[in-house]
Amino acid sequence: MLSRVAESIFWMARYMERTNGTLRLVRTSYISSQDEIHDFTWAPILQHYSDRSDFPPGDSKQVIEHLLLDKENASSVINNITRARENARAVQDHITKEVWQCLNDFYHLIRNERIHAQILRGDAISAMDALIENGWLYHGVLDTTLARGNGFAFLSLGKFIERAILSANNLSIKLAELDYHLDRPLEIPALRYLLYSLSGYELYLKTHRGNLNADLVIQQILYHNHFPHSLLYCLVRIGRYLERLQPESLPEVYKNLDFLTGKLMNHLKYTPVDIRKGKELGRFLDHIRSGLYEITEAMNKNYFGHF
Amino acid sequence: MEEASLISGYRVESKVWDEMFDHQGIRPLYQKMVNAINRLSAEEMNHKDDLAKKLFMSQGVTFTVYSSGEGIEKIFPFDIIPRLIGAAEWKHIETGIKQRLKALNIFLHDIYHDQFIVRDGLIPVQLIYSCPGFIRAMVGVKVPHQIYTHISGIDLIRDQDGQFFVLEDNLRTPSGVSYMIENRSITYRIFPDLLPRIGVRPVKDYPDLLLNNLLSLSNRQTSAPTVVLLTPGIFNSAYFEHTTLARLMGIELVEGKDLVADGNKIYMKTINGLKQVDVIYRRVDDEFIDPLVFRRDSLLGVPGLYSAYRAGQVAVVNAIGNGVADDKAIYSYVPEMIRYYLNEEPVLKNVPTYPMENPELRAMVFNDLSRMVIKKTNESGGYGMLIGSSATEKQMAEFRRAIEQDPRSFIAQPIINLSSVPCYIQGKLQARRVDLRPYALYGPHGIDIVPGGLTRVALKEGSLVVNSSQGGGSKDTWVCNE
Repeated sequence: MLSRVAESIFWMARYMERTNGTLRLVRTSYISSQDEIHDFTWAPILQHYSDRSDFPPGDSKQVIEHLLLDKENASSVINNITRARENARAVQDHITKEVWQCLNDFYHLIRNERIHAQILRGDAISAMDALIENGWLYHGVLDTTLARGNGFAFLSLGKFIERAILSANNLSIKLAELDYHLDRPLEIPALRYLLYSLSGYELYLKTHRGNLNADLVIQQILYHNHFPHSLLYCLVRIGRYLERLQPESLPEVYKNLDFLTGKLMNHLKYTPVDIRKGKELGRFLDHIRSGLYEITEAMNKNYFGHF
Repeated sequence: MEEASLISGYRVESKVWDEMFDHQGIRPLYQKMVNAINRLSAEEMNHKDDLAKKLFMSQGVTFTVYSSGEGIEKIFPFDIIPRLIGAAEWKHIETGIKQRLKALNIFLHDIYHDQFIVRDGLIPVQLIYSCPGFIRAMVGVKVPHQIYTHISGIDLIRDQDGQFFVLEDNLRTPSGVSYMIENRSITYRIFPDLLPRIGVRPVKDYPDLLLNNLLSLSNRQTSAPTVVLLTPGIFNSAYFEHTTLARLMGIELVEGKDLVADGNKIYMKTINGLKQVDVIYRRVDDEFIDPLVFRRDSLLGVPGLYSAYRAGQVAVVNAIGNGVADDKAIYSYVPEMIRYYLNEEPVLKNVPTYPMENPELRAMVFNDLSRMVIKKTNESGGYGMLIGSSATEKQMAEFRRAIEQDPRSFIAQPIINLSSVPCYIQGKLQARRVDLRPYALYGPHGIDIVPGGLTRVALKEGSLVVNSSQGGGSKDTWVCNE
């Protein structure tokens, strides 16, 4: 497989994961801003997904438009989809025609005037739901049509690296929203929305019978074995897909990447984190993120031919 | 029965060969198709038109137009009514193109080796050496199987008597073949059951034929040679075609930066190191293909590629230097070439062509400019062209001045009234002008021409320019068994 092709597939997967993650985050934040949470602020989200912060309070639609559709915003969803599609375009002969068409449809959907009008003047949630559904369709099409070769391994690596970063980000955003205090009762709705944004609320209910507790929520996001958005789950997957690449890799390349993932996994599993100390948790998440960046850096050097 | 059927409103221009109608009515070739569409209501036809647009968009069959910094993807305008060609007509076209390509291929070999045709005085030597497509570096280079024109697109038109003429030979990197394949994959959905009823020959063999030819060019002793398609990248307007062909043949699509030359061999950069490449189907033009030999400011190609090619370590398709054979000034000598090299009479005629270097012809053309087409010898795609019948006095004066400054770069041809075919435009069947580009594959075992090709249509009423950059579209081309 060409280095350039591997890199494009990797980034296609990352941009699509980011797209889906951002959409879910914006959707749940919007709902929470309308309903339960008073004094809701978009500031922490804007800090992660924009370089602007000058929105007047109380105008969610403008913020949503900026996060989803503003081409001037480098992290907007429309830009992510465009980049995913551009990467897909450069490797059209390595993904299936179905995957390409699905991404292409997604691109045309978000550029559609109707979506735009719906977000600004209609029911923004329906618009976001339509986009999120397309994201699910993309995963389904990938899963049913793509061969499980090297391309799939790079795709999955991109997906889980990005997902781990997103989960860490969502947790950080929530921490900032709560001003790093996790042990007060009014945080309950905030925690519920955090789980919603990671599709983890139902799992939590089944495990803990609705008794929302900050410690347990964070445990689930960090360590749950079967929660597809938990950091541990993502890291296990990253390790597994790297293993799949082993026969195709030069020995020293694999050794290096195996070391980096193992190190990060150990840090995640065996570092005691006291969730009552919000700042400490914040630093812990920073460390995990930089570990993930290190893995990406090593992939750049070893597989994608950046020197 | 002459109620508001689709056909009844169809108008044919005088002095134009209409491929569906003659003076007595519908030609037998079109009868079955007319039967099939004539019964359809306007609503059904519009529905088919929408379906075609939707299919093109969702399959990403687009070309890119650049304006104000943002690439806008447009679908290549497509007309749903197929253009029909009968078995006898096709036989004639096929024979003519094969003959022509054989001669052109010998010509290329001759020009880059002994130049017999020049020594025998058939073509003036200054015409060859003043041709921008003549590549000195190719003199004496041995190419595999002595084939230069592996893939060519020969543009054909019909005059008012229905006779076929060759308008242009495209021997460098002809494009459009993916539209031939995609158009078919859409018409069979728009007109269910109609293809088998009419007996239309399939075009889907093209990628297999091409791949087999490419594989046979490898010089390495291996059962699985590495064949790649070299594209200038996603910003090229034909990028969709490059990916389609690479996917249909199952070969790697590479960009210049994916390849590297080492010791006269070409390698591609993969996730586990370098892998040798044997055959390159390149869609990058000659002048960009190797900055060490050609344009130094371009990185679309591969430094060192020419040297590896010359050493026979990698095959390049089409050969470098083909531009000398499809130059528009050389074009007028092709009938002579056929007689000289093959001792045969040309099956397909040339359009009369007047090189502007000749002062007498120049004076004649200047006197009659409103009935002439002026073309630049080294341009294509409808650029650098003047159609006398629709040009303003100012444009004519500009061309006169340009021709006098550099007569070698221009030719003139009488305006040919292209044939017309029915198109579905704004809810009505309307006659529009067309040309035809069949694609020929020249391999070690001979020449194959896939039955069909790209029919380009001038969608503006009365227009004679079919290029997609100038308001042209395309149609599916059905070659019938009859």
